[in-house]
Amino acid sequence: MSTATLPLATDAPLPAPANGNDNAFERIATAADRAALAIPPAWPLASSVAVNPFLGQSGEDLATAGARLARVAGAAVTPPRATYRAKIAAGAITEADLLAAWSNAPPDLRPTDLAALKQAVEHDVPPPVALPTVADLAAGVSGIDWPGLIAERLGAWAAGHFDEGQALWAAPRNARGAYAAWRAVATHDLSPEIAGLPGFALHVSEVPVNPLRLIARASERLGLADAALETYFHRLLMSLGGWAQYARYKRWQAELAGGSDATTTDLLAIRLVWEEALFARYAPAIAARWAETVAAHAAPVAPSADLVIDSILQEAAERAAQRALAATLAAPAPASSTSPDARPSLQAAFCIDVRSEPFRRALESLDPGIRTLGFAGFFGVATAHRRFASDVEELRLPVLLTPALHSAAGSDADAEADRSARIAARAKRAWGRFKLAAVSSFAFVEATGPLHVGRILSDSLGRVGATPEEPAPRLVPAQPHGHDHGHDHGHDHGHAHDDGQPPDLAARIDAAEKILGAMSLAPPFARLVVLAGHGARLVNNPHASALQCGACGGYSGEVNARLLAALLNDRGVRSGLAARGRAVPDDTLFVGALHDTTADTVTLYDDAPSAAHRADMAQARAWFEAAGTLTRTERALRLPRAGSAAAVARRGNDWSETRPEWGLAGCSAFIAAPRTRTGGRSLAGRAFLHDYDWQQDAGFGVLELILTAPVVVASWISLQYYGSTVAPDAFGGGNKLLHNVTGGIGVIEGNGGLLRAGLPWQSVHDGETPAHEPLRLSVCIEAPREAIEGVLARHDAVRTLFDKGWLNLFALDDDGHMAWRYAAGLRWTAMDPSV
Amino acid sequence: MPPAFPLLPLPVLLILLPLFVPLLAVACLGFAQGGRRRPPHLPRLAEVAALLALAAALALTVALIVLGPGRLGPSMRLDALSAIMLLLVTFVGWIVVRFAGTYLDGEARQGPFTGWLCLTLAAVLCLVAANHLVQLVAAWIATSLLLHRLLLFYPERPAAQRAARKKFVTARLGDVALGAAALLLALAYGTGDIGSILAAARQGDGGGLAVAAACLLALAALLKSAQFPSHGWLTEVMETPTPVSALLHAGVINAGGFLLIRFADVMLLAPGALAVLVVVGGFTALFGSLVMLTQPAVKTSLAWSTVAQMGFMILQCGLALFPLALLHIVAHSLYKAHAFLAAGGAVERVAAIRRPGPVAVPDAAAVARAFGAALAIYVVVGLAFGLTHKSPQAAVLGAILIFGVAYMLAQGFADAAPRALTRRTAVYALATSFGYFALHAAAVFVTQGVLPVTPAPGPLEAGLLVLAVASFGLVAIVQAMFPLWAYHPAAAGLRVHLSNGFYASALFDRIIGAWRTDRPPTGSTPSRT
Repeated sequence: MSTATLPLATDAPLPAPANGNDNAFERIATAADRAALAIPPAWPLASSVAVNPFLGQSGEDLATAGARLARVAGAAVTPPRATYRAKIAAGAITEADLLAAWSNAPPDLRPTDLAALKQAVEHDVPPPVALPTVADLAAGVSGIDWPGLIAERLGAWAAGHFDEGQALWAAPRNARGAYAAWRAVATHDLSPEIAGLPGFALHVSEVPVNPLRLIARASERLGLADAALETYFHRLLMSLGGWAQYARYKRWQAELAGGSDATTTDLLAIRLVWEEALFARYAPAIAARWAETVAAHAAPVAPSADLVIDSILQEAAERAAQRALAATLAAPAPASSTSPDARPSLQAAFCIDVRSEPFRRALESLDPGIRTLGFAGFFGVATAHRRFASDVEELRLPVLLTPALHSAAGSDADAEADRSARIAARAKRAWGRFKLAAVSSFAFVEATGPLHVGRILSDSLGRVGATPEEPAPRLVPAQPHGHDHGHDHGHDHGHAHDDGQPPDLAARIDAAEKILGAMSLAPPFARLVVLAGHGARLVNNPHASALQCGACGGYSGEVNARLLAALLNDRGVRSGLAARGRAVPDDTLFVGALHDTTADTVTLYDDAPSAAHRADMAQARAWFEAAGTLTRTERALRLPRAGSAAAVARRGNDWSETRPEWGLAGCSAFIAAPRTRTGGRSLAGRAFLHDYDWQQDAGFGVLELILTAPVVVASWISLQYYGSTVAPDAFGGGNKLLHNVTGGIGVIEGNGGLLRAGLPWQSVHDGETPAHEPLRLSVCIEAPREAIEGVLARHDAVRTLFDKGWLNLFALDDDGHMAWRYAAGLRWTAMDPSV
Repeated sequence: MPPAFPLLPLPVLLILLPLFVPLLAVACLGFAQGGRRRPPHLPRLAEVAALLALAAALALTVALIVLGPGRLGPSMRLDALSAIMLLLVTFVGWIVVRFAGTYLDGEARQGPFTGWLCLTLAAVLCLVAANHLVQLVAAWIATSLLLHRLLLFYPERPAAQRAARKKFVTARLGDVALGAAALLLALAYGTGDIGSILAAARQGDGGGLAVAAACLLALAALLKSAQFPSHGWLTEVMETPTPVSALLHAGVINAGGFLLIRFADVMLLAPGALAVLVVVGGFTALFGSLVMLTQPAVKTSLAWSTVAQMGFMILQCGLALFPLALLHIVAHSLYKAHAFLAAGGAVERVAAIRRPGPVAVPDAAAVARAFGAALAIYVVVGLAFGLTHKSPQAAVLGAILIFGVAYMLAQGFADAAPRALTRRTAVYALATSFGYFALHAAAVFVTQGVLPVTPAPGPLEAGLLVLAVASFGLVAIVQAMFPLWAYHPAAAGLRVHLSNGFYASALFDRIIGAWRTDRPPTGSTPSRT
């Protein structure tokens, strides 16, 4: 239940509402809501997915978003000028790129001519500075670090409030929401008064019970004009770092499930209580500067000349990369020695993830008959999955969707093993509590401390026991509610409005047909079709889920792959498919697999053992092993301290490794086309590859799916890497060396304070140079322009991403060349074929 | 006064070369790198140096077994205590240096970091091997100053500065106390040779000066071990890379306890000082372990655990159970080094907690049965290890073991727990009790002759023993029934105060002006370089 839905009349600290007051209240509530929506959500680290940090600003172009984020967070939205200077000097960005980008900029804002632009590149601009909060101004006049103290206190409370099970004595749950929970703590906490804010607990005890009332009262006391509300509220939420983003995630999940959640607004109210109290105390000294600040917030958000120049330079850098991509795609394809109609020796489907590209290339190089294809790594199987011996449903699907299926590892035959695994897990948990509890922790240390020599040695030397393979997953009925006894603050997992039963045969045939079509998986089928999800096997890494499959909700993808393989091996489904003209040969076996992106190994799951395919399986394993070696050798060149392929394979087991792999760093392109357009060419692990054959796509339903789902997910990934690189303070995960996992949901740096969402610095930087070149994704689609336009015209949110430049769009011609560049407003410009 | 120990032969003395020289050489090499990223070969060389030190400690241990205890040159000694500490420090040192070599890859100033790390290790080794007051005091101060450099590896972080300032103030008070204690010892016994001082103290010599020295040693140990109310710095020094936390919590923090054990013979001359150790250590142990329950961040929770464990170790020293205190230092160090370095797995561990279903909550009857069963286990296993020969002090510690084991059993005795779980927890309880007694017996055996026998308790000690049993027992019962009361609204305020460590650190901050700032009123987004 959310506090925002409480009847507003239950507390009446405000004067009796007249109509004018009601309107003012509405405006304040709207501004608070807009500020909340300006914050990107941050998923908990147990299943984190990449999020576009500019999600709330995607309706604005880069320069305007830059102006807004500079005001509210002091965040840059482009790399420093020196980066562009270096690229121009190196010839990567050409004069033509600069001119094209300049020409594309609004004439009234851009520099007068190209010369002025080139002159501007030579000058560094100072980093943006956020408008001050009352706390900042109070710090200036009092010499007390109020912003730091607020961050520390708020962090101490929020860490307890959002804890998912680290503390044995959890913070009490409060059904009335975060604001009420905070008030219960803040009225007891003596720290602010010890630090020099006498009467703060009393102040908290007297604030309105309803957070919106408090927001309204504080806005009035702080003298905020209506026009100043939105960016001021946004400013306050940004000052809460990842806590505001985690609150925004709570809202995202609630809304996906059809509900609502006011945690973000609650945090805003909490932060405003501090502002109000500090303003009451320091008003005489800061009134003048505060009035200036309010006026600055009230001014419209408009880009400065420098921000426009930066966004032109960024576009020029992207055009430079697009030129290189166009050249790669235009290069003559190596002649294929097999006819397209011949039966492949092996088919393997991988996730579109950029890490699949080098592996697919290596695999295809081993035998001319090997075909690979790319598809979203959940393979269309949106399942809420329970691991072996687990009650917890994991949402293994893109976060834009709600689960359509429920699955669990193991069958009835595994019931006994399931039971004993649970007992073992519960005994382990009891041991963990014994280790942590008061008094018993002393006995634990004295009785078992010396045994840790063995654990230290095995972890230090990277001797990691093999994780037992989970039994094959199967579809199950939905779990009745009430199984989740963890101290979750309410059921925030969205569930689809299904009847909870596994799909019947007709529904399974429908699903199989749809997925085969979406994958463009068509005859000729090989005897063995491998469906390879991906994951990263890592130890001791809080950000491990950032390296897992984003399409599987931040989990590894083998469950979805195994479920699809079972579906497609199903005899009934096969005959159903044949009846609909999508016959799959009887001797074709689908096999689920997991591509470990850290070690570049592939595990095949022999869930439906077939004696007839033993040789095919052995051959496939040999090919995957050889492809792994090739891929590791290629990756070793890019990874620091990786002298050889063998060194790459060991990184995941190293408990001190902060860069086990580069994840999706470097991603810059998304290509939806038949594999023949990209096959045999190196895309350097920087491209998402989605197989798509528009001539097989009657009605362009698959095109619509691609543009609205995988492209959007890819944009979130690309912009997360972008944001974590150009604005590490606002949108980056901080320094891994200082990470302190809090509540099992996220990391703080050091002792406490703000949650750090986004990618850690070590994930986007090798120490000497950035590992990710911040470029907005170039989406290349081989399809008629009219068809693409049609999809964009129906999906405003997607179209906005292209119109405002958060994504670049290209149409490939019938030769697979980048022929048309999308310009805003459903218009296209022809590309210069000479490049 | 003649030295108590014979001088060990030159070949043994030469083992000190691989113990110290490689570490010092690598330190120099590290400092020479300056801000260079990925200094070539340095991580590998540092690990080799740490391994050589570990090998030297092993060689010294062999020499000790073969030749018996003795002096090493003018100011060092080799006995069971110094050998165990050398082994512990070099082992943890090797692990930490190895970890840091990869962990800091790509970091600016990796070279100087490695340098400070190696120097700190060398200083701790000097400390634990000291046989002369001058070396002891010098190594003690050097350890603290070198650690200070590591704690400020990111000097621009305000929180790092806050914690380091608190640490600095506390450490300097400790330095003064130790310096004064050393001076008084030298005056009381007319020598700086620790072996001679201990031998004389064992005869009851020393008089009022020695008693005063013991009081100052106790003070120095309390400050060094982050005992209430000086614990604030320890729970806030996560502002530096994880390997430093591991080294601090598994190595440097032990200096206080080591000091008390080293001067055990002197400490026995001052029952009043020991009583203070019992009270402060016992309180800190319970306080720290309760605060830890409320901590949602993994490293912070581990730091509070260290406060508590050090309190328990100080309690053991206060009860004159020095061999057990030594065991506790070793056991805790190994556990805590691993726990800090593996802290990155906390996300997965928290996620795993919920998977097997709800926790079975024991009711009062189950708790009572668990305490009864734990007592039975204690008696049975204890008799096997000669329970009847134990001092009352050791019996009290055994009682605390019962309380802990009872908590384990209570989880299995809960009505909702399946039988198989009950069996497993019972097996764990038995294994824990067995391990506990076996390790105690080993600790007493190894330190025979080096550490004094626990004296029979007088009225003061008897009173403290009762107090200890009562307070630990009460907390244990409260803990076992925890889910039944912790979420009562009446407990909410207590939880807030407890989670803030009763504001001792906030008051410390206020006194030293830790939240004062000179920075201009600009943006408040956290900065990182």
